[in-house]
Amino acid sequence: MFRVHAVVISVLQNAVLRMVPCVRISKNLACCRRAVGGVRWKSSHGLAPLLTASPVRALIDEKISIKGSFLPPHCAVTLCARMHSEDGDLWESFAHFNTKADGTFHLTRDDSVGGSYLGCDPMGLFWGLQPAPGEREGLRLRKKSVETPYVVRISLMEGHVSPREDQSTELAALTTERWYMAPGVRRIEIRQNGLVGTLFLPPGRGPFPAMLDLWGIGGGLVEYRSALFASRGYASLSLAYFGHKDLPGPQNQMNVGDSYFKTAFQLLQDHHQVCANRIGIIGTSFGVYLTLQLATQTGVKPSCLICINGPVGNGFRHQEADSDGMDGRVLSSVKYWTCDDQGNVSFKIFSSPENMIPESKVKVEDVACPLMYIEGMDDLSFSSKENVDLIKETLDTVGKSHLFTHLSYPGAGHLIEPPYAPNTRMSLWRVKPNKLFVQWGGHHAQHAAAQADSWKKILDFMEKHLR
Amino acid sequence: MIISGVHSIRMQKNPCCVKLSVQPSRGLVDEKFSILVQNTPPGFQVTVHALHHSEDGHDWEAFAHYTANNTGTVNVSEDPSLGGTYSGVEQMGLLWSLRPVPGNKPWLRMRKMNVQTPMEVTISVYQGHQTEGFTDQAPLAGVVVERWYMAPGVRRVPITEEGLTATLFLPSGPGPFPALIDLWGGGGQLVESRASLLASHGIAALALDYLTPKITVETGKMVENEYFEKAYKVLEQHPQVLGSRIAMLGISFGAVMTFKFAVYSEVIKLSCAVSVSGSHVQPIDGSVKQIFDYLIKNAGNTRINEENQTIWRDLLLPIPTDPAFKVDVGRLKCPLMLVVGEDDQNFPAPESAKDIKEMMERAGNSHLLTVLSYPNAGHLIEPPYTPHVRATNFVTVGSRQKVVALWGGEMVAHSRAQEDAWRKLLVFLRENLYGTNLGATSLSHLQRKFHLCDGCSVQTVSSTESKLQTRKSSL
Repeated sequence: MFRVHAVVISVLQNAVLRMVPCVRISKNLACCRRAVGGVRWKSSHGLAPLLTASPVRALIDEKISIKGSFLPPHCAVTLCARMHSEDGDLWESFAHFNTKADGTFHLTRDDSVGGSYLGCDPMGLFWGLQPAPGEREGLRLRKKSVETPYVVRISLMEGHVSPREDQSTELAALTTERWYMAPGVRRIEIRQNGLVGTLFLPPGRGPFPAMLDLWGIGGGLVEYRSALFASRGYASLSLAYFGHKDLPGPQNQMNVGDSYFKTAFQLLQDHHQVCANRIGIIGTSFGVYLTLQLATQTGVKPSCLICINGPVGNGFRHQEADSDGMDGRVLSSVKYWTCDDQGNVSFKIFSSPENMIPESKVKVEDVACPLMYIEGMDDLSFSSKENVDLIKETLDTVGKSHLFTHLSYPGAGHLIEPPYAPNTRMSLWRVKPNKLFVQWGGHHAQHAAAQADSWKKILDFMEKHLR
Repeated sequence: MIISGVHSIRMQKNPCCVKLSVQPSRGLVDEKFSILVQNTPPGFQVTVHALHHSEDGHDWEAFAHYTANNTGTVNVSEDPSLGGTYSGVEQMGLLWSLRPVPGNKPWLRMRKMNVQTPMEVTISVYQGHQTEGFTDQAPLAGVVVERWYMAPGVRRVPITEEGLTATLFLPSGPGPFPALIDLWGGGGQLVESRASLLASHGIAALALDYLTPKITVETGKMVENEYFEKAYKVLEQHPQVLGSRIAMLGISFGAVMTFKFAVYSEVIKLSCAVSVSGSHVQPIDGSVKQIFDYLIKNAGNTRINEENQTIWRDLLLPIPTDPAFKVDVGRLKCPLMLVVGEDDQNFPAPESAKDIKEMMERAGNSHLLTVLSYPNAGHLIEPPYTPHVRATNFVTVGSRQKVVALWGGEMVAHSRAQEDAWRKLLVFLRENLYGTNLGATSLSHLQRKFHLCDGCSVQTVSSTESKLQTRKSSL
């Protein structure tokens, strides 16, 4: 039984990645296991090694430093990380180390020589998490309840082994908590003015700069990025616009229009704990279109825009939610996604500017504030490149190139999210009437580097334009 | 350089620009944090403020004055405080200089009795150099920080079998773990703060109430040696404890007990022992009651100072010459660490340490001894970053009399001592409980770990020296 770990070592230098492919095949049991002369430390010395980490309770975007000590010198060990998602699926990762002469290993100093990642990366065990063999296919790790942490158990095992090995060789373990919300951050459900959203406020009286947070046509209400922004001092409103039970109309269509998003922006402006002239908008995937569309509405003056892998148009006209007749688009139709004969769904055609109705395209030339576009060059689901090129060209033409920042990451896929969480290269899109999957793309190590770098740049961009 | 007039700039035009971040926002009690203030105008004056509402309902605060540099940044780890409850460069000063806000009763002590919830501290930044009235004004920014005694995965197990009143804290992981019996002082109660922290660092720790356990409350009788032996056996036989690696750590009267068991017990076999602010002076191998009565017999040596504070250090002075009244530390077979505050007003810990050293040198086992002696530190040398208190309300077990006990110590030196001693205590415990080099080599091994000079078994740590050492190494 083989488990192929395709691991790519990448070195991020000045935003240019150099790819060095490295494929490691580890057989389930025997071949790469190296116990220390066959002797188990516990039985011979009556001892256990010490595994420590700091901080053991961290925000998702904070690094954790893990160390092992009181081990024999120059010996093979494996660190294994395990956690259960909220749906109960087991995710795991592992890394192989060799202790130094003093019997220690430090993840901030030492290279992983095998496993879910290679090289020196203290967060590799976290972004390298993958569904354990035997778990359901097409899983994506997304936190629904941000008021509780992910609990990740780190185990230290003898030899260079895989997580499937015999559990009794566990020498030491510790538990870490990974939080989306800092202490004191307040989570407020918003169901007013027709809006469906969640507002996160930093601790204190404020006023705070703010963000409006828009996600893609997966729909629902995605809170984790807003919770993180609030943990970094920004009020942040996650907004649902499709596929949520509290929204009007059938759940399989988008029943809200421009005025809905404007109302959300105004809610932030009018909030007594928000600096009305310091509001930005961030959009991922289809949320990019919504971000740009809102930013170019009259009376809406965001301070900055962040767009991640999304289109400049929506492929069809949308109705105002308050007009007569709900001529919303039925989003479950094949009008906006295509499917190949292997059941792989793609939005490339729908999101490609050349296929968009001209009236559906946002007037990018009217953008009046700094705009950052983050592109994953291995985005297999959306035509991100064509869209960013169009935005750049449009802004150049009207002399606004000074407003534009473009970050592009080789090897990164569509789902560029806050750092140190695993990438999903492919996930389940639909189960009935037949199973369909979306190929999001992204090679794990490069995608992880892209998430870490882009998140830092997103926060710096917000610092610069919202404070 | 400060630009004149800059500090009068109000933040009204852009009220949301100042950013305050504290990392980690959820730390262990003994973990350092970094506080950064950003985006102020260059040379801007700010006050960084900490507020904590204690478990027993009192407000404690600390504050410090800073001036932002020319990039509009204040980094508490690197920049000097110009005044407040501490001054100079002090990364953790906002915690150890906490004091009850004006208006509170005097002589309060901050203790966390429930270790399953964190200590919450609100850190804020205010405009200008302020000294009072913080709650009446809006800060420029604020964050909430949690300080935990228990790491995730640490298990808290109340122990009531064998008539014990104790709590066992087990580290995360499969075990088995080396272990420790944790003894507190003459105030009694079941104090879990140190044991829970030790378990967060990989040592199974049993907090043992030996002065006010249920059995004493019910019978009125103090416990005998068997009580401690039972506690030891519970640990030794626990499936997740390495029975051959058990230590004992005592503070104050708990240290008095530690000396007794480390030397005389036939049952309790310790891998190492630690005395914090303790004394070896006692009727040898006496029962708890006998040792307690010995102290009370000398109560006439109690001194009251001008502030009406009670000084008890003379109750165990002078160090007797009669060997029947001091534990024969020359018979000790395991490593011993003494932590001593040279300004200890409650126990004559420095005098006792000196005598212990002499006894062990005469007996030829002084290679087992490590002494950490801190000028201007007081009696209550506890895990770091909790506030220093020079004198507090105190009721000794058995007496109804409330006094204000003088513990001693000057705040800065004492806080440095706590930080340095805790770090070295953890190294000492780990080397003796996890390491393979035991016994005779432990001291030289420790010296390398502590970065001490060769040949030194006694370390007198000056306040600047311990500050340097603390800066160099991380916990």
